[in-house]
Amino acid sequence: MIFFALLAILAGMLVSLSRQVNGRLALSTSAMESSFWNHIVGLVFITVAALAFGGLFAGDPLASPWWAYLGGPIGVIFIAAGSWLIARVGAAQTAILIIAGQMISGVVLDIAMGAPGSPWARAIGVALILCGMWVAQGDKATEK
Amino acid sequence: MPDVTTSPRLYHFAAAFGAGGLLTLMILFNGTLAVHGSLFFASWVPHLTGTAAALLILVALRPKRAKKTRPPLWTYLGGVSGAVTVMLTSATMNTALALSGTIALGLAGQILFSLFADIRGLFGLPKRMPRRRDYLSLTLILGGSLILIFFGGSA
Repeated sequence: MIFFALLAILAGMLVSLSRQVNGRLALSTSAMESSFWNHIVGLVFITVAALAFGGLFAGDPLASPWWAYLGGPIGVIFIAAGSWLIARVGAAQTAILIIAGQMISGVVLDIAMGAPGSPWARAIGVALILCGMWVAQGDKATEK
Repeated sequence: MPDVTTSPRLYHFAAAFGAGGLLTLMILFNGTLAVHGSLFFASWVPHLTGTAAALLILVALRPKRAKKTRPPLWTYLGGVSGAVTVMLTSATMNTALALSGTIALGLAGQILFSLFADIRGLFGLPKRMPRRRDYLSLTLILGGSLILIFFGGSA
């Protein structure tokens, strides 16, 4: 159990590592070029892994609705945005503000799709996140 | 490298918040692929269509390279780290941690490593010493996120 907990923490660290490396590439190139390399290198890596382990086309992959295929192009913008942000507001601010957006949009999506969940927990969670964002914006006096 | 102490501006907020919204959509779309196909397929397809989309955008916009000198080779490897992440989370999701535990611990790992990277200025990115208000906002947003993950039905 502790082993899997450590794996889950490691996965989070790798998200940050990936954003830092892509951000460094964007410093020399551009956010969009960095996103391109992120995707093509990841594609090669997953292809090799899938060939090694097998089962890439297991199940009924073509049964997905057409819109499920839009994750790729959206990911391109997402990775480019992360690479652009990390050099400007730092790794921690980038991570926490993206998390804030992810959590609040997740609540909106859950409500739109009628997913079960406590309205109180949702209200408190969203309120805390909005407070955190308000604190993060800082006072202009400390800015250089 | 000078320390960066600037607070995020409104357009930084908008970009990060928008990116978080895109991430929610990505999880929904890629997760739908995983319902019908394998976990490999659910990561392989977005990387394939993403590569094509990025190529189209590059050809259409031709963004200028920021520097003439070539970046070090390791900077091209960010995609490997991202691909390994998908495999790790697929592994832990199916243990007692479940999706909520996987996400919560992942957030912790992400924030701790990000803070460490900012303080040390890892990977040639600007150094940034977190201030007290940064820790306060991190705590508030993380706390709100954990409440949503474990009690809000949001995953």
